[in-house]
Amino acid sequence: MATYILRRTLQAIPIIIGISVVVFAIVYLAPGDPTARFRTPKVPPEQIEALIRAYGLDRPVHEQYISWASTFFQVWNPDAWGYSFLSGDPVLEKVLYRVPPTLLLMGSALLVTIVVAIPVGMLAALRQYSLTDKVITTLSTFTYAIPSFLVGAYALYFGAVLLPELTNGAIKFPSFGMESLGSRGDPLDLLWHLILPVLTLSVISIAGWSRYMRSSMLDVLHQDYVRTAKAKGLPRRAVIYQHALRNALIPIVTLIGLSIPGLIAGAAITETIFTWPGLGSLFVEAVGTRDYPVVLALTMVGGVAVIAGNLLADILYGLVDPRIRY
Amino acid sequence: MSGDPVGNDILLSVRDLRTAFDTMDGTVKAVDGVSFAIRRGETLGVVGESGCGKSVTALSILRLIERPGRIVGGSVDFGGRDLLAMSESEIRDVRGNRIAMIFQEPMTSLNPVYTCGRQIAETVQAHRSVSRAEAWEKAVEMLDLVGIPDAGRRAKQFPHQMSGGMRQRVMIAMALSTDPDLLIADEPTTALDVTIQAQIFELIARLREERRMAMLLITHDLGVIAEMADDVVVMYAGQVVEQGDVRSVMTDPHHPYTRGLLASIPRIGERRHRLEVIPGVVPNPLNLPAGCLFRRRCPYAMEICETPPHLTDLGGGRSSRCWLDAEGRAPEVTLPEAAHG
Amino acid sequence: MTSDSDQTIRERWVASPSPAGGGTTRAGDPASSVDEVDLTPVRTYWELVRMRFRRHRPAVISVFVLAILVIYAVIVPLTTGEGYKDPNIRKVWDPAEIVITFDPFTVEAFAPLGYDEIGQNVFVRLAKATQTSLVIGVAAVLIIAGIGSFIGAIAGFLGGRVDNLLMRLVDIVLSLPVLFIILMIVSFFGTGDVSVVIIAIGITGWTLAARLIRGEFLTLRETDFVMAARALGVHSRRIITRHMLPSALSPLIVASALGVADSVVAEAGLSFLGFGISPPEASLGNMLNNAQTYFIRAPILIVWPGLVLILIVLSVSFIGDGLRDALDPRQKIESGS
Repeated sequence: MATYILRRTLQAIPIIIGISVVVFAIVYLAPGDPTARFRTPKVPPEQIEALIRAYGLDRPVHEQYISWASTFFQVWNPDAWGYSFLSGDPVLEKVLYRVPPTLLLMGSALLVTIVVAIPVGMLAALRQYSLTDKVITTLSTFTYAIPSFLVGAYALYFGAVLLPELTNGAIKFPSFGMESLGSRGDPLDLLWHLILPVLTLSVISIAGWSRYMRSSMLDVLHQDYVRTAKAKGLPRRAVIYQHALRNALIPIVTLIGLSIPGLIAGAAITETIFTWPGLGSLFVEAVGTRDYPVVLALTMVGGVAVIAGNLLADILYGLVDPRIRY
Repeated sequence: MSGDPVGNDILLSVRDLRTAFDTMDGTVKAVDGVSFAIRRGETLGVVGESGCGKSVTALSILRLIERPGRIVGGSVDFGGRDLLAMSESEIRDVRGNRIAMIFQEPMTSLNPVYTCGRQIAETVQAHRSVSRAEAWEKAVEMLDLVGIPDAGRRAKQFPHQMSGGMRQRVMIAMALSTDPDLLIADEPTTALDVTIQAQIFELIARLREERRMAMLLITHDLGVIAEMADDVVVMYAGQVVEQGDVRSVMTDPHHPYTRGLLASIPRIGERRHRLEVIPGVVPNPLNLPAGCLFRRRCPYAMEICETPPHLTDLGGGRSSRCWLDAEGRAPEVTLPEAAHG
Repeated sequence: MTSDSDQTIRERWVASPSPAGGGTTRAGDPASSVDEVDLTPVRTYWELVRMRFRRHRPAVISVFVLAILVIYAVIVPLTTGEGYKDPNIRKVWDPAEIVITFDPFTVEAFAPLGYDEIGQNVFVRLAKATQTSLVIGVAAVLIIAGIGSFIGAIAGFLGGRVDNLLMRLVDIVLSLPVLFIILMIVSFFGTGDVSVVIIAIGITGWTLAARLIRGEFLTLRETDFVMAARALGVHSRRIITRHMLPSALSPLIVASALGVADSVVAEAGLSFLGFGISPPEASLGNMLNNAQTYFIRAPILIVWPGLVLILIVLSVSFIGDGLRDALDPRQKIESGS
């Protein structure tokens, strides 16, 4: 297992290098001078020159890339990822600061998705062709087609505008941020803020996952070993939960790893709608203000997350399926 | 061994069993009025080409038919009770306990995520009040019985770590772990190598003998029937077309279909220019011909065959579903050459 | 499409009405009773495709829905010209109105969806936005299908080291955080520019198409008809374009249908975040973004572009499902999430 993880990590290195080249190229090729923001009449030209030399902008492109890439991976240095153009803070610190909120949001959304989607998909499969199945399948098909930002917009409208109106202000979901003023660290307040963004992120993934779970379960229910389990005279409960479900969960478990990149992307939009102080909203801010060091760092983090997600999926697969050996 | 009716010795009696499958294009009568009986300790062979309803018959006995299939009618009498009329918990008590079943595909019939030992122990625990440790002990004992070397270690292995023949042995161990009265074996060796096939049949025959267990053996191979069975039922397109004791059916087949099946077995020491095959295929179950279902492949087909023939009692426990038998004896002719076009 | 693939033959078997039901008596004539299965082709491949597609009811309904949307997105902007940009200070927040005149589609006369915060006719603006989205969807898919089939075809046809190299490239693109990359490209290379949006979506989205085509080519490479063409000394490019690409068409079509849905959503997401198409140009995303700002005042405004977006995504993916089943019932392509 350890050798497998090591081998996969080594295999990931060229891909990470590839990603860094693509990302660097986009930034390098971007029209406009990165120093343009400093060229005001108040800043003397010598200072601009110094800036260009300090950032190495006068050197050839491959040197620029190598110097950026070689410092980038020294994550133990607080200044490895450079400094934000906007605030002057070390990017590494800025990014790390945003990690917990994103993990909290993604983790909660993933948890809600798993807890809801697996029973729902299983129910639909066990009652295939019934009214329950048709309602679940239709609902999930339609829900799956709704873009996440629409769900977010409606969730925001419903929770922060319509519901307070209907209940005369008794129920009002917060529309932005992670915490209310003055209630820092209050878990209830945090939960209250989590509800709408988590709902937004999980509604669509519940639709997708329950469809997946349904087809996985249906697939397994038609397998010979399920028939064997019935022929052995096992109670229905044992046939479904021990023999069918255990196998139906195998592809679902790998979905957890594979859904991580999607969650990061979904989080960018959801975090922006609800102004959640996570990585996604930081990226949207940084792109909008052309804060290149932050953009570069976050894109690399995103790429590594995709690779890590894939690796996680394969490791989980090996853990739940005895047929897989590393 | 001949067909004297020994009424009170009957273990399982299937009467007028009908199983249908609802498809988008209509209802398929997969099993259409099948009747037969198995005596205690006896082996009944069911033979026929693929798609003739053999497996569906076997699955229907244990009510393992899944939607879109359903058992439409008939009865399956087992120890004085109708299996088809039992409650869900009653039939569960019969499955794997008094009637056990082994399947065609040992590769897929075992659950890939559990060890072989666990899957056997689970069966024992479902039907006997034993502790987990006792059930595991029984599993190892059964694996040893079916000739798996180093059974204690093998029990801890997963199905994918075993060969096809080994897996079928595990299936047999699982089936016999509860000492059933009847074993239903649905083409147990079709998926295996020829050399392994013989070993598995030998094993089944030996264990069956030792335990005085009755068996319903389903196969498409009349050679296997000749080796293993006492009585035989020949099925075609969901119906029984001939039945009787093996020796007389093999030496003196009545129904043209049985003759065709026999003619297609190569025999040692017999010089033939060509191996006879039955021309054509089993008719599309959605579009069965009117009258005799074998009519369009039959070299003896006559005008009257457009009327469905009934099962004619030939005496001595034998019967045949053919107008030739209803009207006398079929003429002994070889299949015409033209049939091989 | 070659009509002699084994798939087609199987279809003919199923499709050809068995002569068994007929009243003719053939009993007693063994010669004629042998080959009762009629093997003459009753329907051509494309007839069968059409037949199977028509059986997929959601897909058929989707064709109609999409057709209506296309007509709406073409006709209304044609008759109203630049009218979707016109603000009308007197009409701000006006409710829906339908005035029947000789010229029913003018900006002034026909506003069944009312006016927005600067008095723009929502019905007219929505038509233009639908047009923008559909154009972006189709154009991005053309890029996706183009790059995808080019890379997939080369990898699958040549195999070996080239295949290996190209598949590493696919791995890299697959590992990119796609939304981040699209946002970067659109933001750095020209916010609001339709062509940049199209290119950004196109060059990040071709991996599925490339993989499908490659897979198909690897199989096709070993088939008899390609072997035969090679043995006859047919030029490689001709083998690819004349013999292999047509056979690999069905996975490409299905991947494209899914690509349209993904691209339309991607554009809407970009514009919603303020990076895609910016006003006064109209796109579903920027209408949604705008509507969100005026949520409390006019919650209905977010419904219309949202509805159109959902209808496009749903109908395109249903059509994709229908095409997949119709073109190749064996093929299972998971719709990417």
